[in-house]
Amino acid sequence: MFFRLKDKADVEAGLFFTLFGGLTAGLSLQYQMGTIAAMGPGMFPLILGIMLTAIGLIILAKGVMAGGETIRSLSLKAAFLITLSLLVFAALVLAVGLVAAVPAQVFIALWASDHFTLKRAIALSIGLLLFCYLVFIYFLGVAVPMIAI
Amino acid sequence: MEFLNHLGLGFEAALSLNNLTFCFIGVLVGTAIGILPGLGPLATIAMLLPLTYSLDPVTGLIMISGIYYGAQYGGSTTAILVNLPGESSSVVSCLDGHQMARNGRAGAALAIAAIGSFFAGTIATMLIAAFSPVLAEVAFLFGPVEYFAMMVLGLTAATLLAHGSFIKGVAMVLTGLILGLVGADINSGTYRFTFGYFSLTEGIEFVAVAMGLFAFTDIVTNIRGDQARDVTTPSLRNLWVNGKEAKEAALPVVRGTAIGSVLGLLPGGGAMISSFASYAIEKRLAKRPEEFGHGAIAGLAGPEAANNAGAQTSFIPMLTLGIPSNGVMALMIGALMVHNIAPGPYVMVSNPEVFWGLIASMWIGNAMLVVLNLPLIPLWVRLIQIHYWILYPIILTVCCVGLFSIENSLQPIYFAAGFTLVGCLFWRFRAEAAPLLLGLILGPLMEEHFRRALLLSNGDLAIFYRSPLSIVMLSVAAVMCLVILLPQIRRSRSVAFTENA
Repeated sequence: MFFRLKDKADVEAGLFFTLFGGLTAGLSLQYQMGTIAAMGPGMFPLILGIMLTAIGLIILAKGVMAGGETIRSLSLKAAFLITLSLLVFAALVLAVGLVAAVPAQVFIALWASDHFTLKRAIALSIGLLLFCYLVFIYFLGVAVPMIAI
Repeated sequence: MEFLNHLGLGFEAALSLNNLTFCFIGVLVGTAIGILPGLGPLATIAMLLPLTYSLDPVTGLIMISGIYYGAQYGGSTTAILVNLPGESSSVVSCLDGHQMARNGRAGAALAIAAIGSFFAGTIATMLIAAFSPVLAEVAFLFGPVEYFAMMVLGLTAATLLAHGSFIKGVAMVLTGLILGLVGADINSGTYRFTFGYFSLTEGIEFVAVAMGLFAFTDIVTNIRGDQARDVTTPSLRNLWVNGKEAKEAALPVVRGTAIGSVLGLLPGGGAMISSFASYAIEKRLAKRPEEFGHGAIAGLAGPEAANNAGAQTSFIPMLTLGIPSNGVMALMIGALMVHNIAPGPYVMVSNPEVFWGLIASMWIGNAMLVVLNLPLIPLWVRLIQIHYWILYPIILTVCCVGLFSIENSLQPIYFAAGFTLVGCLFWRFRAEAAPLLLGLILGPLMEEHFRRALLLSNGDLAIFYRSPLSIVMLSVAAVMCLVILLPQIRRSRSVAFTENA
């Protein structure tokens, strides 16, 4: 079990920060650097990117050598469905209106739960539509369409 | 007394019918949402922030701060009744508060928490009114060098005192700073990291980031643990605190207020640290420390007062220096910026009604909490029993409409979706997300002051240690970093956290 890198939180975190820092530093090279006295738009991001890369490497090294904490596993299905429910809401709300966006979001999001039943999803959708109409459209005047077509 | 005049001005602003109404709505909604387990003040505020954008600056801010201490108080209620801390600062309230509830004194525990919080809130409000102008005077002396040094110190301290690994916290701050740079560069106008999207030129919408990282990530991680909860239902007849209990609570409340007021001022301080510190001190001072953990009144009263005092005095650095000491204050700064108010010493001069109105409303909000919450306890108990599968679709939809309403655009929803995935990744590899939010807010400011300082010194980096104020702040930050890297202290720090968790 000497070099088991799988499931180590610090290894994953280190990789993430190193990559993100490297990416930032790389991308900032396309902007003007300027001088220390009159810095261009690229200088500060480059400094931050390099610092983050360095710290990412330290975290990575710490993870590889010392082990440290293991990752917390989370339900991939839930992460995927919740994100999808947001995207679907955004795709439908202006094209069709809340009448489609809210039920679609509720169905997809509730699917991630063990407590999913069709009846519950329908009841929640109707309740939420009423709530949205009363609070957002009628009371707060948010310019979100109930029915867009 | 000049500050009484100021407070008078503030009460005039805060006592208008409109502001009182929104303060009331904020406190009520904040408590209702804060009570739901797993939803802390950060997620609650992020969720409701867009809804305040259409209000006047004063009214909007009053409502947000109402939401804040409502959520704070709601968290304590949940901690006492179900032994589930709604947020980190009420972890301590679980220890003795819930034990009191199990001993049949739930009503008294809630009453002590409410009255202790109110007392602490009153004192802290007066402190804010008295000390903010003084601190603002000092802030006027700050140049870019001092501002930069102070931000470095603030971010270091905030990361140090947040839970989780320090080095990952630093990495998160840097990630936040980088994300904060997206958009048009202030000096040259160059679009940085916008990848050709015009909507990115104004930067990434911070509410979208906060919702993705806090509200939505919380949903993903909470979905599994969805089950009915066992709630101690207090009877209302038991609400009254008896004389012995009141006597036992009095001194800890006073001490807690003092501790919280001081710790809330420090960068990185605030509600959580204050409650931990107060609990530790009460335990040490107690005549019968063995009672702690079995329903000791001092163990509830002290931390409750402390966390409320700390929550309030952390407004001082935010309002006078424009430096957020924790994630909630970062959101408050974002809210100020939306209303075109640049947080800093000038707020007091340029928008005195905003500044003093907010302070006066803190006291009114705290008074409302006491009056409102004790009679509504039966309602709150019902709220806690709501199943999570009913709640989270509601949260999702409310957030989505809120994100859309920021500027009638779908862009923030897409961003929030992206940051949900990123947030899950952070949760997976145990990186605390709050430091990222601080970095995101401070990124542009820090760059501006850094560049301006070096422009003034003509490129000489020595300018950062020529100013005495700056060298003190930078050395303190450096010492903090060194100290945390020493294994001895790191070990005792992790012990301190596990002991209280």
